[in-house]
Amino acid sequence: MASAASSTSQRGQVDLVDFVDWSGVECLNQSGSHAIANALKQGYRDDDGLHLASDSDEQLLIYIPFTQMIKLHSIVIKGPEEEGPKTVKLFSNKEHMGFSNVGDYPPSDTVVLSDEQLKGLPIILKYVKFQNVRSLTIFVEDNQGGDDVTTVHKIALFGTTVDTTNMKDLKKIEDH
Amino acid sequence: MVLEATMICLDNSEWMRNGDYSPNRFQAQCDAVNLICGAKTQSNPENTVGVMTMAGKGVRVLVTPTSDLGKILACMHGLEIGGESNLTAAIQVAQLALKHRQNKRQQQRIIVFVGSPIKYDKKILESLGKKLKKNNVALDIVDFGESDDGKPEKLESMVSAVNNSDSSHIVHIPPGQNALSDVLISTPIFTGEEGGSGFAAAAAAAAATAGSMGGFDFGVDPNVDPELALALRVSMEEERARQEAAAKKAAEEASTKEKGDAGASGSTDAIMTEADKGAQDDEAALLQQALAMSMDDAKPMSDISTTDPDLALALQMSVEAAKEDSGSQSDMNKVLGDQSFVSSILSSLPGVDPNDPSVKSLLDSLQPEQEKKEDKSDKSEEK
Repeated sequence: MASAASSTSQRGQVDLVDFVDWSGVECLNQSGSHAIANALKQGYRDDDGLHLASDSDEQLLIYIPFTQMIKLHSIVIKGPEEEGPKTVKLFSNKEHMGFSNVGDYPPSDTVVLSDEQLKGLPIILKYVKFQNVRSLTIFVEDNQGGDDVTTVHKIALFGTTVDTTNMKDLKKIEDH
Repeated sequence: MVLEATMICLDNSEWMRNGDYSPNRFQAQCDAVNLICGAKTQSNPENTVGVMTMAGKGVRVLVTPTSDLGKILACMHGLEIGGESNLTAAIQVAQLALKHRQNKRQQQRIIVFVGSPIKYDKKILESLGKKLKKNNVALDIVDFGESDDGKPEKLESMVSAVNNSDSSHIVHIPPGQNALSDVLISTPIFTGEEGGSGFAAAAAAAAATAGSMGGFDFGVDPNVDPELALALRVSMEEERARQEAAAKKAAEEASTKEKGDAGASGSTDAIMTEADKGAQDDEAALLQQALAMSMDDAKPMSDISTTDPDLALALQMSVEAAKEDSGSQSDMNKVLGDQSFVSSILSSLPGVDPNDPSVKSLLDSLQPEQEKKEDKSDKSEEK
């Protein structure tokens, strides 16, 4: 697990950025100039000059629909030490949540980010809870420093698709 | 054309009995609400609008967001005035109503009519505004009626707390001659962010110019029928320009012909002088134009001369020089001399009758001039 630092980390796990339905991606309480695309999109997320920042307060609610059913294995959240997220709750298949009903459902998983995880260490999730995921909601409850603004540099999701196991991808892993 | 779900909060507190807006504040509000609903549903048929009251027995949703205009108008009947307006509760209820809208893709908007004094702190209102912003809800405030205790400032601070890239607006409407709805029509609340739907623009034009219909050219309101108004205006201008050009051309040609063509233009001079007398007559003017056009070397001169007198002078001088060098009969004389050609041109001209006496006399004058010219040249050759 320590060796798994780059994109296709675990066996068979793929970067799910290709399966994100971009027309439905929403982020509540994001600041206008620092939008969700800066943290999610290929190219933007690796650019350290671009990041996602919160607006009115430190909470963020990110809704990510997918183009097909996926199984979510792990997640990478990169952020600065002080303003990076601390408590992150993940909800699977809950459409259009608002800040008022984050407390209504139990999250599928909760993560409290450590410093290494903020630097890019993948966070292994409860795989059994994310078997048939059509949409993912990420609720950032607070940040490390307790300030008003939460900053996120990168969010990457890893897993597999349900319908197809892409043989090409498998072959790529076995090369390592 | 933004897809939007709107909740309108009406103030039906006791302060709405006041008659400083005609007929009374409450009626003015209702009219404004009717207009807003119409505008929203017109700009996008999938838009929904809901209405609720802030005072009366308490905060009450009259109709949840719907695109059915009839339902909205019907629920405004039989509303009673009374009680005190509860702004914060109303906005929170409106937010809840929007949250449970059927089409989650719609943007959320709340329009509040604030006519009674506000008893809340600026801080409370600001935090409410921030909460709206966090949940991506836009807020429009119509500040009218009572104005005291820093009400405008409180509302301004609230709107600036909510505002996310100019999606929220506030309008202050003092009491006066104009109806509340008329003033509202020209505000961004009505016209939206993109600069207005057709409905809004048309309604604005109609309302603003209600008393001055006759002020428009041709009695056609450019806003109602822009294409017709434009066509009328263009044709008027064309007609005017054509008449001016015709008159100008005749005068110009007369003057240029007199100045230039000195060498061999005895006949043309004669024609010109004859034509000058007839120039007052429209037919003669047309004739001049036709003659000018049939003259090859004269034509470019007259065209240019209308624009630049210096250039015309230079051209004339060069033409004169050329003419003197050649010393031969100019083309135009040949053309003019061809009686049949000239008469054929004349007959093709609209409004010119070859049998007309003035035209005939003109033609006759051509002939003897022509003969005189030939005699002269013969004599010079002989010499």
